[in-house]
Amino acid sequence: MLKKDLILRNPLRLLGQEDQYILPEGGIGAVLARAGVGKTALMVQLALDTLLREKNVLHVSLDDPVDKVSLWHKEVFHNMAEQYNLPQINQLWDSILPKRFIMTFKVDGFSVPKLEERLRDLTEQNIFTPQMIIVDGFPFDDTALEPLQQLREFSNRHGLRIWFSVRTHRHEAPGPDGIPPQLSNMDNLFNVILQLQPEGKKVHVKVLRGVDAEKDYPELMLDPATMLISRND
Amino acid sequence: MEKDLSQVRNIGISAHIDSGKTTLTERILYYTDRIHTIHDVKGKDGVGATMDSMELERERGITIASAATYCEWRDHQVNIIDTPGHVDFTIEVERSLRVLDGAILVLCSVGGVQSQSITVDMQMKRYKVPCIAFINKCDRSGANPFRVIQQLKDKLGHNAVAMQMPIGLEADLEGVVDLVTMQAVYFDGENGEVMRTEEIPDALRDEAESLREKLIDAASMYSDDLMEAALEGEVTPELLTEALRIGTLERDITPVFMGSAYKNKGVQPLLDAVTNLLPCPADVENQALDMNADEAPVILSSDAGKSPVALAFKLEDGQYGQLTYIRVYQGSISKADTIVNARTGKKVKVGRLARMHADQMEDIDSISAGYIGALFGIDCASGDTFTDRNSRLSMTSMYVPEPVISLAIAPRDNKSQNNMSKALNRFTKEDPTFQTYVNQETGDTIISGMGELHLEVYIERMRREYGADVETGMPRVAYRETITQKAEFNYTHKKQTGGAGQFGRVAGYMEPAEGDEFEFVNKVTGGSIPTQFIAACEKGFKGCLAKGPKMEFPVTGIRIVIDDGASHAVDSSEMAFQAAARGAFLEGYARAKAVIHEPIMKVVVESPTEFQGAVMGSLNQRRGIILGSQDEVTMCVIESQVPLSEMFGYSTVLRSATQGKAQFTMEFNAYRQVPQSIAEDLLKKAQEGKKNVA
Repeated sequence: MLKKDLILRNPLRLLGQEDQYILPEGGIGAVLARAGVGKTALMVQLALDTLLREKNVLHVSLDDPVDKVSLWHKEVFHNMAEQYNLPQINQLWDSILPKRFIMTFKVDGFSVPKLEERLRDLTEQNIFTPQMIIVDGFPFDDTALEPLQQLREFSNRHGLRIWFSVRTHRHEAPGPDGIPPQLSNMDNLFNVILQLQPEGKKVHVKVLRGVDAEKDYPELMLDPATMLISRND
Repeated sequence: MEKDLSQVRNIGISAHIDSGKTTLTERILYYTDRIHTIHDVKGKDGVGATMDSMELERERGITIASAATYCEWRDHQVNIIDTPGHVDFTIEVERSLRVLDGAILVLCSVGGVQSQSITVDMQMKRYKVPCIAFINKCDRSGANPFRVIQQLKDKLGHNAVAMQMPIGLEADLEGVVDLVTMQAVYFDGENGEVMRTEEIPDALRDEAESLREKLIDAASMYSDDLMEAALEGEVTPELLTEALRIGTLERDITPVFMGSAYKNKGVQPLLDAVTNLLPCPADVENQALDMNADEAPVILSSDAGKSPVALAFKLEDGQYGQLTYIRVYQGSISKADTIVNARTGKKVKVGRLARMHADQMEDIDSISAGYIGALFGIDCASGDTFTDRNSRLSMTSMYVPEPVISLAIAPRDNKSQNNMSKALNRFTKEDPTFQTYVNQETGDTIISGMGELHLEVYIERMRREYGADVETGMPRVAYRETITQKAEFNYTHKKQTGGAGQFGRVAGYMEPAEGDEFEFVNKVTGGSIPTQFIAACEKGFKGCLAKGPKMEFPVTGIRIVIDDGASHAVDSSEMAFQAAARGAFLEGYARAKAVIHEPIMKVVVESPTEFQGAVMGSLNQRRGIILGSQDEVTMCVIESQVPLSEMFGYSTVLRSATQGKAQFTMEFNAYRQVPQSIAEDLLKKAQEGKKNVA
C-alpha cells in the first residue's frame, strides 16, 4: 500500500510513458544542470521511483564514496516519506535496500569493460542484476563518445534503462535546441534529455527531449529545500 | 619533575589496524630515550613492541588495552595513550579520546583512509580532539602520500595540508622536505636517530615551492600577520607555525606529516609537530556536571588551587596490584589526600601515585591538572570521577554501546571457578561493554560484548592472566522481540478461592514505538482504575518485557496505553493489578503480530580487486545486503550489512577466499526483523532447548 502511494504520488510519473517509465527499455537518458543545482537529487528520485516498483537499481558514482551516495538516497527517501506523511518508513526503507547497489569508481579508473566485469561478479553469483543504472559524474569530454556508445549497446543488450548526469557550464552557450555543446556530437544517443534550470528561487525541470515528441509535458519543479520534485501549480 | 602546563601534551595515536601505530609509538619512545632498543610488533627477536604489554597482544600482533606512557621531547612532557585499532575494542579508543587533548591520526600510505580511520575520525569529532596526520609506510610499494591527503579531504572532509613532501618513495625513500623551513631532512645512524638537514634537491625544489604556497594559503586564513607577510614575501617559519597551530586547535586544518616509522624516517619531525601544533591541557576547555546543581555544566580550570576533579579512564590488574589510570582536569591529587568517588560517594585515601610507562612505573608525589597518572589499590569502575569532599562534580558520562553477542562459559575445574569469577569481576570493571550475568534457568555464566573477537580475547586473558580454564558454548546473538501492529486488550484477573479474593480489570492497547523504548501511557479517566494501582499496572507490564512471550527474547519498541479498567472495593490490590496487567500483555501481544529482531552489523571488507567477486559471494551467502563497492584502483572496499548470527568464523572464510589479503571490520548497525524461515528455525531450537532443560 505504502509503496503504491509513493509511486502514484510521484510527479516524475507525469513525464513517463504508458508504463510510467520515462525511458523505454534499452534507452538512455540525461539530466543536465550546472554544478550544485540538483542533478544528483533528481537522479536519486528516479532511482527511488524504480526501487519502489521493486526493480533493481545500480547507482554508479564517479565522484562520491559509497557512504555519501547512500546518504543521498536516505535523505531523499526520508524527505519523500515526510512530505507524504508515511508511517513505518524504516520498514519500507529496509525492503528497498536489497534492491539497490552502489558502485563507486575513480573517474580515471572507470571504463565500460571494468563496469561489465564488476557486474558479472554480481550477476553470475546471483547477487544482483540491475534493471536500471544511474551514472553520476561521468565526464562528458572528448573521450566520452566511445564509452557512451558501449553503454548504449550494453543497455540495449540487457534491456536496461540508464540515466547520466551531465554537468553544464555557464560560459558555454547551448545550441538552438537547448543541448549543451559537450553533447552535440552524441546527443542522438539519448532518448530523453531533462534539464534543471534555476529561475529565481525555483528550479524548473524542463524536458528538452522526451520519448514522445508530440506530447506536451507538464512543468515540474525541484524544491531546493527538500530537493523533491513537485508540480508547478 | 612536572613541567609548566604549556609544555605538556596528552596525545593519542589512533589509526586503522596495521597502519603501524604501535611501531610508531615504539620509535617515539626510542628517540625520546625512554627505551634503548627497538622491538617490533611480531618481532623476530620474540620480545615484541614495548607498548603491547600484554602477552596476548604480542602474540596476535594487535594492541588491545591502551597503555599509557610518557616521554620527553625538546623540553616538553608528552603523555601517549596507545589506542587499539580493531573495531571490537572501540570502547578503549573512545575512552582514550575522552582524556586526550590532541591526537595523531596514523594512515597507511598504501591503504589510505580505511574504514576504521573513518570510525576513529568520527570519534575524534565527537570529543572535538584536534589532530595531525602521519602518513606512515611511505617505504612500501604503492605508497602515495598525496593520494592519502586527497582521501583525507574527500572521505573525511578534513582540510588536510601537506607539511612535508617525501624525498623518494617506496624503496627509495630517503627523507622528507620540511615545507615550513624549506629544508631537506635525512635520518642517519643505525636507527635514524641523527637528523641531517640539507638544501632541497634541485629536482624537488619547484614542487616543494608550490606545496609551500598551498600551505601558506591555507594557514593565512588564521593569521592576519601571516597574510601580510605572505604578500610581502617574508613568511617566517615561526609565523607559519603559529597560524597552523591556531587552525589545528580549532580543528579547521589537519597538518599532514609523512615517513616510515619502520624505516626510522620522519618520526622526529612528527614529535616536533606534537609540541608545536597540538594543544596543551590549558588550551582545551573541559566540562564537568555539578551534581548539587541539577547536573549543570561547569567549566573546569587547570588552577592547582581548586578542588580536584579526576577521571578514572582505565583499570588494570597488573604485577603491582590494581592500577587506576586517571587524568586530572582540575586541582591536583597528592599522596595521602582523601578523595571521593562521585558515583558511589565513597571516600578513599590516596596511597601510591605513579607515572606509567607501558608495564613499568615510576613513583611520583602528586598529579596536577592536565596530567595523566595512575593510582594504586583504589576500588572503582572505569569512567568514575574523583573529587574532594567540597564539591560534587562528575565528568560527563561516556557513551557506552549495548553488547550484541553473548557466550556461555563454564570453568573446567574448581580452581578455575574461583579465578574465573575474579577475572570477570575485574574485566567488567575495566570495560563497560563487557558484561556478565548468570542465566537463572540454566545456571550458566554468560558473558556478552561487542563481537566475537572481543569475547575471545577476554577468554584468553582469563586463561593466561588468571589461570582460569573455561569451556565455552556457542556464541549467542542478542535477539529481541517487538510487535508490528496495534492490538487491544481487555483482561480481567479474578480469583475467588477462599480467603481474600483478587480482582482487577485492565483495558487499552499496545502499539509499536520507535526505537528501543518502552512507553507506558495512562489514559484512564473517571477512576475506573484507582490511581494507587496505576503503578502496579506499569510494573506488571514491565515485568513481561524481560522475556517476550514469543521466544523469550527481551521485548523492545512497544508503547502500552491503558484507558479503562475496573476495580473492586475489597478484592483489588497491587498484586491483583500486576497480575491483570500481565494477562492483558499476553492477550494483546498474541494479536500484535510479534516478530524477532536481530542485530545487523556493518561489515566493511577491504580486498584486492581480483577477489571482489569472491568477497561479495561470501557476504551474500551470509544473508548480507551489499550496499556497494568502492573501486580504489588496486584495492576495493565493499560495504555491507550482515546479520551478526551469520558472521561467526568469517575471518577464516575471508582469509581462505582471498589468500589472506583482505581484512574486514565490523560494528553494530541496527536491529532488523529476522526473515520468517530463520525465525522458524530459532523457534524450533528454542523448543528443543526447553525440552533439554526439562
